[in-house]
Amino acid sequence: MTWNKIESARREDIEKVQLSRLKDTVERVYSLTPFYKEKFDEIGLKPEDITSLDDISKLPFTTKKDLRAHYPFGLFTVPMNEVVRVHSSSGTTGKPTVVGYTKADMDVWDEVMARVFTMAGATSEDIVHNGYGYGLFTGGLGFHNGAEKIGATIIPASGGMTDRQLMLMRDFGATILAATPSFSLHMAEVAKKTGSNYLKDYKLKAGIFGAEPTSSGLKKEVSEAWGIDYHEVYGLSEIIGPGIGCSCKESELLHVFEDHFYFEIIDSQTGEVKPEGERGELVITPLTKQALPLLRYRTGDITSITKEPCKCGRTMLRMESIIGRADDMLIISGVNVYPSQIEHVIANTEGVTLNYQIIAEKKGHLDKLEIHVEVSDDIMSDSLGEMAIIKKNIQSALLNNLYINANVILVQPRSLARSEGKAVRIIDKRKD
Amino acid sequence: MYRIKQLSIFVENKTGQITDVTTILSQNNLSIKSINLIDSNDFGILRVIVDDEQKAKKVLDDAGISLKISDVFAVAIDDHIGSFNEVVTLLSSNNINIKYTYTISNNHNGAFIFKVNPNNFNQVIDILQKNNINILKEI
Repeated sequence: MTWNKIESARREDIEKVQLSRLKDTVERVYSLTPFYKEKFDEIGLKPEDITSLDDISKLPFTTKKDLRAHYPFGLFTVPMNEVVRVHSSSGTTGKPTVVGYTKADMDVWDEVMARVFTMAGATSEDIVHNGYGYGLFTGGLGFHNGAEKIGATIIPASGGMTDRQLMLMRDFGATILAATPSFSLHMAEVAKKTGSNYLKDYKLKAGIFGAEPTSSGLKKEVSEAWGIDYHEVYGLSEIIGPGIGCSCKESELLHVFEDHFYFEIIDSQTGEVKPEGERGELVITPLTKQALPLLRYRTGDITSITKEPCKCGRTMLRMESIIGRADDMLIISGVNVYPSQIEHVIANTEGVTLNYQIIAEKKGHLDKLEIHVEVSDDIMSDSLGEMAIIKKNIQSALLNNLYINANVILVQPRSLARSEGKAVRIIDKRKD
Repeated sequence: MYRIKQLSIFVENKTGQITDVTTILSQNNLSIKSINLIDSNDFGILRVIVDDEQKAKKVLDDAGISLKISDVFAVAIDDHIGSFNEVVTLLSSNNINIKYTYTISNNHNGAFIFKVNPNNFNQVIDILQKNNINILKEI
């Protein structure tokens, strides 16, 4: 079952749609965004130079830095009265990366999320338990709108409060679970405490999981713990949010929705486009975005794509699960954060030195972030309360600016590990 | 005068942390007049009075241990019921807030140690002297 017949259209038809939409997008950003016009003029490129899909490699890249530099609405191509929704992700200086949607953009988002739900086997008969956080993040509301679009019953549970979530899932008879894989596993662990036959209390048949990198092993674990099919969803707010692609029942590869997004894999060092099947950095150009059209957005995610047909009948490209990052971005309970952002927060906390270490590990199935900060004589006090304030200040700055919960631990000066004299800043114990 | 130097030494909540500090102090021939640990869940502060705080600071700094030196004052223990209460009542009736206090005892005498807001320090000494409280210059 597909939501939209274009998902199994002939490739030449898909590409025809892509080319026409790409041309429109290029025209749009050139005429409406000074940032892109300057970039085009610099390299002597005109919108009419784009005559084939391969010409996309002539276009300039866009990065997260560009979005930040135009905070908040600088790259929007429509007046604010046409923007119906704003979402954002965390930022360094307390300034987040902001994305906007017109009514038409929302329709596209609903559409691609409807395809995701349909791929997971959901229909209007289903009850969807949505455990993604609601708010500025795209996760909660993205899933919410998609479930409404297919006419399913949506339970907007949001994140946290495991016991209550389990109660809702049991009492309301949820059939589809949407949540991060780690939180889903954590919920299963808690549910198991009621006895080994806990599954009899639940009616779940499938789950749509995303926002975190997941190994095949982890997918299997989640799938078995809940006795359900595992569907992986991919997305990022800069492009639209969740709904860029999803895996079907046939394989772990994710079908990506090419009629709305153009996919390339590049060498992250040289920027050269890589051939089909090779791994590299994923670059996406949204083809239908109105409020915030971006050209060749560098996701930083490492993956590969293939045109090989799928047994399910869909013809759109398939992408493997994200296998890593081109940069040092960490994903903590679904929230993306760069060590440089954490460093910025620490640097802006009065009295704290920049000798710190970030330690990410798993506590059960949940991510746990510890930040060890070396004390100095400057912040040393004879009062426990005063020192606890420093710890609390860093923690609340991290929560307010980066949306991450961290435990800040004060340690002795020069006690943090140095490797050949150079500080070891990040220890990610979650990696196998 | 009357300013007793107290070291506040940072200790992590790990076995052996106090030993690290006291070993350094004893190896450097420093005499501990008073020691007292306050702890939170993940770290503690060791409040120590030694006979040579500058030397202690140097050797602890060299060992990479953070500390701060703060001024406290000591009142000789007069061995009768209510002696501590007299001092505290005197301070509170003059609106002086006591940050913390503890007792120490040496060979033949003892003292109450007090920490107040540094801005109030001289005022406190004045008040106590006017009331014939025996403030110690050293311990």
